[in-house]
Amino acid sequence: MEPDPQTLAQFHILPQPTYVDSLRFLPPLSAFDRHIAVASFNSDTSTPTLSLNSITPPTPTTPPTLTPQSSFTPSSRITSLKTTQTPQQNPLIAASTATGSVHILFPNSVDGSFESEVSVPDNVLHLGRVTCLDLLESGLECVSVGEDGRVNVISVGDSGLDYRRVVDGKGLVSYSAVRWASPVEFATGGLGNCVQWWDLRRGGTPVSQFKGNWAQGATSGIIHSIDIHSSRKHTCLAGGSNGNVFAWDLRRPQQPIVLSGVDNGETATCISESDVWEVQYDTFMSASDHAKLSSKGVLPAMICSEDGMLAVIKQGEEPTELLAENCAINCFDIDRHNPSDVICGLEWESIAFLTRT
Amino acid sequence: MPGLLTNSGDSSSIVPYSPTTTTPTVYTLHHGLTSPITPRLSISWSRGNSLRVTVFRSPETASNSGDDEAGGKVVDLKLSGEDFDSEISDAARWRRIAYGSVAPFAHLQNKKNAMAALAELRHSVSYDGEWSKYVLEYSKQISSLLGSKKSSPPSLIEDPKTVLKFEEPSSLKAAWELLEIFYADKQSHPWIPEQLVDWLSDYDALFSGQVPSVHLRLVEFQAELINMQAVENEPAYWQAISSALAVGWLDIVVKLLRLHGSYQLNQLGVRETENGLVEAVAVLASKMPRMRVDLPSGKLGECYNNKSDFMRAWEKWRAQITKLDCSAFWLQCNHNQTKENLKNLLQLLLGNTSTLSSATCHWVELYIAHFLYIRPFTSGLESMYVLAQKCIQLKPVSTHHKLMRLILGILEENTEVVLAECSRSFGPWMIAHATELLTAGSVEAEILLKEERDNLGGISIEESHRLVYAQVLSSHALTWQIAPIYLISCVKHGVGLLEILLYKQPAYHSQVLLKNIEICRMYDLDSVSSNAMKIAGVHHWKHGRKGAGVFWLQQAGDETRLNRIAQKLFDFVGKSISDESFEQWEGLIELLGSESRTAGGLEFLHKYRDFKKSLQQVQDGVSIDAARTAVEALILLMKNPSTPQRFWLPLMYDSLKLLNWQERPLLNVSQTNLLLNKLQELSVARLRPDFVEVALPPEASSSVRVALATNLGRAILEE
Repeated sequence: MEPDPQTLAQFHILPQPTYVDSLRFLPPLSAFDRHIAVASFNSDTSTPTLSLNSITPPTPTTPPTLTPQSSFTPSSRITSLKTTQTPQQNPLIAASTATGSVHILFPNSVDGSFESEVSVPDNVLHLGRVTCLDLLESGLECVSVGEDGRVNVISVGDSGLDYRRVVDGKGLVSYSAVRWASPVEFATGGLGNCVQWWDLRRGGTPVSQFKGNWAQGATSGIIHSIDIHSSRKHTCLAGGSNGNVFAWDLRRPQQPIVLSGVDNGETATCISESDVWEVQYDTFMSASDHAKLSSKGVLPAMICSEDGMLAVIKQGEEPTELLAENCAINCFDIDRHNPSDVICGLEWESIAFLTRT
Repeated sequence: MPGLLTNSGDSSSIVPYSPTTTTPTVYTLHHGLTSPITPRLSISWSRGNSLRVTVFRSPETASNSGDDEAGGKVVDLKLSGEDFDSEISDAARWRRIAYGSVAPFAHLQNKKNAMAALAELRHSVSYDGEWSKYVLEYSKQISSLLGSKKSSPPSLIEDPKTVLKFEEPSSLKAAWELLEIFYADKQSHPWIPEQLVDWLSDYDALFSGQVPSVHLRLVEFQAELINMQAVENEPAYWQAISSALAVGWLDIVVKLLRLHGSYQLNQLGVRETENGLVEAVAVLASKMPRMRVDLPSGKLGECYNNKSDFMRAWEKWRAQITKLDCSAFWLQCNHNQTKENLKNLLQLLLGNTSTLSSATCHWVELYIAHFLYIRPFTSGLESMYVLAQKCIQLKPVSTHHKLMRLILGILEENTEVVLAECSRSFGPWMIAHATELLTAGSVEAEILLKEERDNLGGISIEESHRLVYAQVLSSHALTWQIAPIYLISCVKHGVGLLEILLYKQPAYHSQVLLKNIEICRMYDLDSVSSNAMKIAGVHHWKHGRKGAGVFWLQQAGDETRLNRIAQKLFDFVGKSISDESFEQWEGLIELLGSESRTAGGLEFLHKYRDFKKSLQQVQDGVSIDAARTAVEALILLMKNPSTPQRFWLPLMYDSLKLLNWQERPLLNVSQTNLLLNKLQELSVARLRPDFVEVALPPEASSSVRVALATNLGRAILEE
């Protein structure tokens, strides 16, 4: 589908020679450079790669270009990729893999090369797939969750990585998403649309949890992604199977606000019926949007889905479709320092770059 | 070598095997097992072109060398064959074409189905006009995918010596455009000759690899051009011009003519007549009437889209040429080469067969020259075919280039040849997508392609090609997801093969499983997706991820396996278990319990869990409150009809400590009586043949009886 010129000023598809597993903007290393980290997988040679690319933004006549600057080969396919966004300090890239390792990389702010890399090898933190990790904004700690039901907190120090296990579910639970809320609190998501809230000061059991079976009797699902906004730490934005996107407020833990999805015939619109792969609060807002925001409502959220949707959902409004592709949109990232720009990883071995009006 | 029988000449051989084949290539397999291994191998096809080799260690060595070594290894071998077309050997580029053609194909199929439904509704034949519009749209979309006509930005300072711009055309696109010209673009049929002229100018370079071509001649000339002083003295110069003129590349002709030495300022005075003649030929060439709607920018000629207008202009133009040919100025031209070659060019423009023949390199070029200068009105495939035969006679080739064979097949109106050529030279992608153009082209082709054939197992040629293409897509981890779109358009075997494809995917890989479920959701294949979920559930369960296992079994609604898991939980009843396994056991009850409809015995298990928990607390520290809670839980369990009879004794035996409580009796009279009654009921039941004895110490029953009796006595006393 041709994107709507009302919402998009620029839209480009950059074909890649490999499958894009995940991608993230890096904070500007210098005034002119913009970089993105791309986790990709070459299925012909079975090699995973984490590459750092400089991106030249598009001009009215030329498309944007990605120039690989440096690359790193992790032990196996990357399952989750996060970056720190504080512009004053050197950025950090954290990646987890399908065989249980976690890698932390330090890009050089001058030439975009990888200065150093520290990692925890396979099967130490997790047995098997690390499904998700999240990096504290300070870059000092990283939380990882896995299919094996373990939750680990990894400390990034000068001497290397150190970790401690918050809980070992011993396979009785499987986690699929995690997100920091504060340096001592985080939220996890897992099977059965379950969201749990953890407080490191209170040991190895969740402080609060929500078993998401509001679609009673119908098939349950998996939470694929969680986001928490720094200004509203008590609300988790979660997205998962069957197009479900909801906000879970710790203060009303049994009543999630369904933003999209099947809701027993309730009011929420359904933008997609297939898996919502990633959710992020949308930081790009016009002045009128700001005015409309109440302190109670859920902040606008961007989602991408298996059926090729990239859309912005605002509570009580019709969702805005940014893209409707013929293939799945596996991941996206909003440039924190230039929120009109969004990159997405498409199933058909390409990266889409879009600029909103 | 599977299927190879010892007596290969024998009638019993399945596959004809010739022993003269070259020796097989040997590859080393890295399985990572330490020697010595007595290899026991299992070989099977995995996904796509991968071969799955399982190497087992022999049981003896496995038992000898510690436990830390694996008992075997599974290796996936990727077999990569030659790509069907060397041009698209770049796998990533090929996948891009595969991805891009999905949407146009699916869109066209939807339109087709919608139109068929509409036609059925109105009991009338579908609207051909509308349909050909959709087919053309489809064709254009596919064509744009195969490579864009690179309109390189016009440079401000054009190098006068650059005659030809180098581009790399693809023969796939060339073939597709040929099909489009003849089958899809019905509107432009009156302009087929001119379309072929354009086609050749875009793709003549493709012939260069196999036969000499005008394109090659121009490329060579351009290389020499830099070193030439007076071009008009060089035969190559005149040869290049006449060749370009013969195939109608008028812009190149004019550009080359203007390189003529007589244009130079210092020469102009001396060679005025000569220059006038050169310019006159250039102008005549650039004013050539063309039977077409328009011309792309930069191309020369004058367009006429009406036959009579064109005819008048054509006659007038030829008259001008003849007039120039007979002009007296030629006598005043002193440069002999210029004079002769210009006259030769005029002969070309007038359509002199032998001149055209010597100016062109292969028969397709000569064919185009005929359209341009001799028979601009050729129409109808039959007459076009006759003309092609004539050109082949004049310019024979030892072997036809694949595009030549395609042209001949089309002109011959032989759909089978066209199909065979598409399949042989351009592969499964081409043929699966081109059938849409062929069927739109003619009724006969449609019948040929859509007729069900016994020798193809009851499917049509069209379907068989789609199935083959779907197989190609299925063989790659990144393209298998688009195979369903092609399979679903196959009426006979599509759904069946789609199910097989989905079953073959490794469902234990969570991303693949979710993709699988999504595809099943789209095509209403509920049973397939529930099977995939079951496979995933069992896989997770076996690998110790009990939570994920139960989750997927619940999603699949697999009551049988969930019940079996619940039954396994009963095995713990009455056994002393470690803290850790109790935790596991408790967690599982939680998991199973979250779905209310599973396993009726769960209610019992929940109560048993409560009982067991308080009993454990009793064991940890001697607290009367914990003991009381345990007793309550025990009584609750014994009263409950859902508690299976076989657990009565184990439960009571477990609570011996409670029954023999030191300080005071914990059970009152009625509670003790209840338990005694149960014990009595058990001894009666023991007489029945279907009674199952529980594995407990033989004295269990009697010690419970004694404990109960003691307790009863103490309770009576207390009350």
